[in-house]
Amino acid sequence: MARTASGRPLTPWLLIVPSLALALFIIGYPLYNIVFQSLHEVSRFGLIKDFCGLDNFRKVMADPVFMASLWRTLWWTLGVVGGTVLVSVPVALILHQDFYGRGVARTIVMLPWSVSLTMTAIVWRWAFNDEYGMVNVTLQRLGVISSPIHWLATSNWAFPVEILVGVLVSVPFTVTIFLGGLSSVPGDIYEAARMDGATAWQQFRKLTLPLLRPFINMAIVLNVIYVFNSFPIIWVMTQGGPSNSTHILVTYLYERGFRLGKPGEAAAISLVMLTMLFCFTLLYLRIQPKEGEGS
Amino acid sequence: MQVRLTQRLTRAAIALTAIGLTGITAQAETVRVTVAYYSDKTGPYFQQMADAYEKANPGDSIKIEVVNWDTLLQKLQTDISGGTNADLAIIGTRWLLDFVKDDMAEPLDGYMNPAFKNRFIGAFLAPGQISGKTYGLPIAASARGLYYNKEMLTKAGFPNGPKTWDDVIAASKKIKASGSYGFGLQGKEIETDVYWYYGLWTNGGEVVGKNGKAAFNSPAGIKAATLYKSMIDQGLTQPGVTNYSREDVQNLFKQGRVGMMITAPFLIGQIKKEAPNLKYGIAPVPKGTTSATYAVTDSMVMFKNSKVKKTAWKFLDFLFTKDPRVAFTSGEGFLPTTKEEAAAPAFNDPDIKAFVNLLPTARFAPTVTGWEDTAKAVSDAMQAIYLGKAKPADALKVAAEQADKALGQ
Amino acid sequence: MMRIDRSKLRRSIICWLVLLPLVVVVLFPFAVMFLTAVKPSEEVFVYPARWLPTTYRWANFTDMWEATKFGVALKNSLYVSISSTILAIAVSIPAAYAMARFPFQGKGLYRQFLLVTQMLSPILLVIGLFRLAAMIHWGEGNLVDKHISVIVAYGAFNIAFAVWMMSSYFATIPKDLEESAWLEGCGRARAVWKVFLPLAVPAMTVTAIFTFINAWNEFAVVYTLIRSDANKTLTVQITDLVAGRYTVEWHQVMAATLLATLPVSVLFAWLQRYLVKGLALGAVK
Repeated sequence: MARTASGRPLTPWLLIVPSLALALFIIGYPLYNIVFQSLHEVSRFGLIKDFCGLDNFRKVMADPVFMASLWRTLWWTLGVVGGTVLVSVPVALILHQDFYGRGVARTIVMLPWSVSLTMTAIVWRWAFNDEYGMVNVTLQRLGVISSPIHWLATSNWAFPVEILVGVLVSVPFTVTIFLGGLSSVPGDIYEAARMDGATAWQQFRKLTLPLLRPFINMAIVLNVIYVFNSFPIIWVMTQGGPSNSTHILVTYLYERGFRLGKPGEAAAISLVMLTMLFCFTLLYLRIQPKEGEGS
Repeated sequence: MQVRLTQRLTRAAIALTAIGLTGITAQAETVRVTVAYYSDKTGPYFQQMADAYEKANPGDSIKIEVVNWDTLLQKLQTDISGGTNADLAIIGTRWLLDFVKDDMAEPLDGYMNPAFKNRFIGAFLAPGQISGKTYGLPIAASARGLYYNKEMLTKAGFPNGPKTWDDVIAASKKIKASGSYGFGLQGKEIETDVYWYYGLWTNGGEVVGKNGKAAFNSPAGIKAATLYKSMIDQGLTQPGVTNYSREDVQNLFKQGRVGMMITAPFLIGQIKKEAPNLKYGIAPVPKGTTSATYAVTDSMVMFKNSKVKKTAWKFLDFLFTKDPRVAFTSGEGFLPTTKEEAAAPAFNDPDIKAFVNLLPTARFAPTVTGWEDTAKAVSDAMQAIYLGKAKPADALKVAAEQADKALGQ
Repeated sequence: MMRIDRSKLRRSIICWLVLLPLVVVVLFPFAVMFLTAVKPSEEVFVYPARWLPTTYRWANFTDMWEATKFGVALKNSLYVSISSTILAIAVSIPAAYAMARFPFQGKGLYRQFLLVTQMLSPILLVIGLFRLAAMIHWGEGNLVDKHISVIVAYGAFNIAFAVWMMSSYFATIPKDLEESAWLEGCGRARAVWKVFLPLAVPAMTVTAIFTFINAWNEFAVVYTLIRSDANKTLTVQITDLVAGRYTVEWHQVMAATLLATLPVSVLFAWLQRYLVKGLALGAVK
C-alpha cells in the first residue's frame, strides 16, 4: 500500500528509541546486579564475597520449602488470574451498558485500586482478626457462624482468603482494560447484528469476545506477571506461615534475602522466577493466534 | 518538664564538649545516625539529643534517620551495598557477628577508657563483645517476665501469680471455667520460637549446645512442646494460637481476656496508656526444673568506613551519659543498661524492678551465625506442633537438622 | 421533561443486582477503614467488637494529618505520580504507534524486552536501582533521595503496559481515516496529530489512570530511594505507621489510608466518563 516517504524502515525504530532507551537504562543495571549476586556469596549486609558458581541455585533447589512454594505459586497465580478474568469480563460488560448510576458503579468497582496493596492487605488482615475482626463480627451477627473462625491460623482458610483478596485487588485493573477495549467497539456493529437476529449470547461470542481478545490476552499476561510477583498480600496477612504453608516464591525470596540474610540465594530465586515467567509468556503468546493489525 | 530535660541535656553536652575540646579542636562535621523505630517517642528523642549535642558543639551536625524494625535489615543492606551507609546505626545484637565478619564494624575499645566501660551493667555490655573486642554498645535492653491478671489469678487461687508450669495449668483450668482464656500463647511472627524457649530453658534445655550445634531437640524440648500442645488441646490457651502474634496476645491481655502471658517490659507502658484500670502483676517465667528468662539487647555500632569517627564517638559518649539514657529508657519502657541510670528514681518502680531482678537467670541469644535460621526452623516446628500437623519429637528433629545446617558454617 | 425510561430502569435494577455482591465486598474494607478512623482510640480494641463507635472522633483526622505530615506527603505523591505519568505516556505514544502501524524487524523482540522489564521481582530490583541512583552524580550529591530518580524509574516500569495497551487500541483505529487525511494533502505527522491522536484519547486515558495509580500506590522503589521526611510520599508515610511497630494507632492508620484514597477516587469519578463507549464513534461517523 501507500507506504509513502515516511515509511522508511528507520521510522519505527526512531519512534521506539525513547522508550527503549529509558527502559534499558532503568532495567539494565539492576538485572546485571541480580545475575552478579546470584553467582556470588553475598553477606547479610550485602557485601559481595567469593564467586561461587551455581551454589546459590543448588542451595535453593535443595530446600523443600522452595519446591512447595513453587507449586503454591502456580496455584496462587492460576487462582488469582483465573478468578480475576472470570469476574472482570461480566463486570466490564455490565459497566459498558447504559444504566442509571453507571458512573457511580464504575467508580465503586475501581475503588480497591485507589488503596495501595500494602494497605489493602493490612486492612484485610485486620478485618480477618479472630476476635476484633469485622468479618467474624458480621458473620456472627448475621448468625452465619456461632463462634469465630480462625481465618489466618491455618493455611486451609488463609490461602483461599488471600487468593480472594488477590482477585479483589486485580479486578479494577482488569475491568479498566476491558472497558478501554469495549469502548473501541463501534456500536453500529451490534445494531447490525441485532437486525440479523443474533441473540445476546451470539453477539457476545461472535462480536464482543473476538474484539476483546487482544485486551484479554494483555490482561492475562500482565496479571500473571504482577500476581506471580505479588508480595504484600501474603506477606502482610500470614508472612508465608504458619509453618511455611502459605509461602509463594516471592515471599520466600524476601524471607531468604532480608530476614535470614542471604541476598545471594534471593537473587538466584529471582532469576528462577524470571525464567519461569519468560517461558510462560513466550508459550502463551505463541499459542495465541496472531493478532492481525486492524483486523 | 520537657524544657528542664533539654536544659539538663544541654548542660551535660557542654560538659562533654569541654572534655572533647581538650583534644584536637574538631572540624565541623556531619554525623549520620540510623536508628530503629521503637515507639512514637524514638524519633523525637533522638532529634532532641541531636539538637542538644549540636547546641553544645557548634558546627557539628547530627542527622537522624528513623527506620522501622521490619525493614531495618533491608535498609542497611541497600545502604551498605550502595556505599551510602550512615556513621552510626542501631542493629539487632544478633546481627553483630555478621557485621564484624564483613569488617564493617569499628572496634570501640580504642575510644573507651575504663571509666566509660564501667558505666555499663556488665551483663548488657557482654553481648556486644566479640573475641575480646567491643563492637556494639547496648542502646536498648529488655528481659521477659510473666504478666498476670490479678483479679483472675486471685480468683484462681494464685494471688501472687503462678510459680511453676503446674501452677499455670491449674490456674488456667479455673480461669477457663469462668469463661476467659488461661495462658496466652504466641503462635506467629517474631519471637514465636522464644515463646517456646521459656518452656525449654525452665525445663533445663538449651537452644544451642556448647559444641555449637542445635541442642533443643532434647527430652526437655519435647517436654516443653508437649506441655504447650497439651494446654492448647485442653483449651487452656486462646483458640487459634497460630493466628496470634505477640501484639495480638498483648491485646488480649490488655482487654482482660487472658489470664497470663510472657512478654517484655514495654507492655507496662501500654497498659498504663490503654488499659489503666487493669490490675496486673509481674512474676518470673514459670519454673519447670529451673528458672530462666530471655534477655535481648540492641546495639549501637560505628561503621568502619565512617569519615567522622571522632565526632561520631563524641555523640555516642553523650548518648550514654546519665540523662540521655534515663530519658530514652524510661520513655521506651526498656531496662537500664548503665549503672547510673539504674539508680535513677525513674526506675525505682516495682514493675521495672521485677524485671531487673530476673536478669541473673537471663539467657541472651548466643552470638552465632545462623541464629535467625535456627529461630525460623524452631518457629516453623512450633507452628506445626500447635496445629497438630507434627508430633513434637518429629518436628523438633527436623528443625534441629535445619538449624545444624545453618549453625555448622 | 423528567421522563424515566422504563426499560432503562429495569436494566439498571438488573445491572445493580448483578453487581451487588462485588459492590459489597469492595465497600467492606472501606467501611472498616471509615468506622475505625472515627473511633476514639480506646474503642478500637473492645470486646465484643462493634461496628459503630460510641462517639465520632473527627479529631483523629487532624491528629493523623500532623503525625504523618500528610500535607507534604500528599504534595510529593501528586508530584511524583503526575510527572511519571507524563513521562511514561510521552515516550510510549510513539512506540505504540510504531507497533500498531508499522511492520518492522525486531518488533517481537522489542515486545519481549518490554515484558521482561515487568518480570523481575521488584523487591530485588530495588537494590540495583539504589546502587544505580547512588552511582549517578546529580547536583551536589547523587540521585538518592531525589524525586527525579523515582519519577524516571516509575516512568520506565510503566512503558510496557503503556505501549501494549495503546498499541492494542491504536490497532483498532481504522487506518483509512489517516490515509484519507493524507489524500487531502496532510503530511503523515500532521495526520497523526489531527486525526489519529484525538481518536486515541480513551486509550491514553486508561493508560494514564493505570500509570498514575501505579505510581500513587508504589512502595518498594520510593521507600528505598527516598530518605528524608520532606521527600516521602503518602504510601511510605502511611506504611511507616504500621510496619514493625510495637503498638499501632489503628484509628490514625485508617484515617490516613482513607484520606489517601480520596484524590484517586475523585480521579476515577472524573476520568471514567472518558471510557464511555462511542467516544471514538463520533469521528468514524
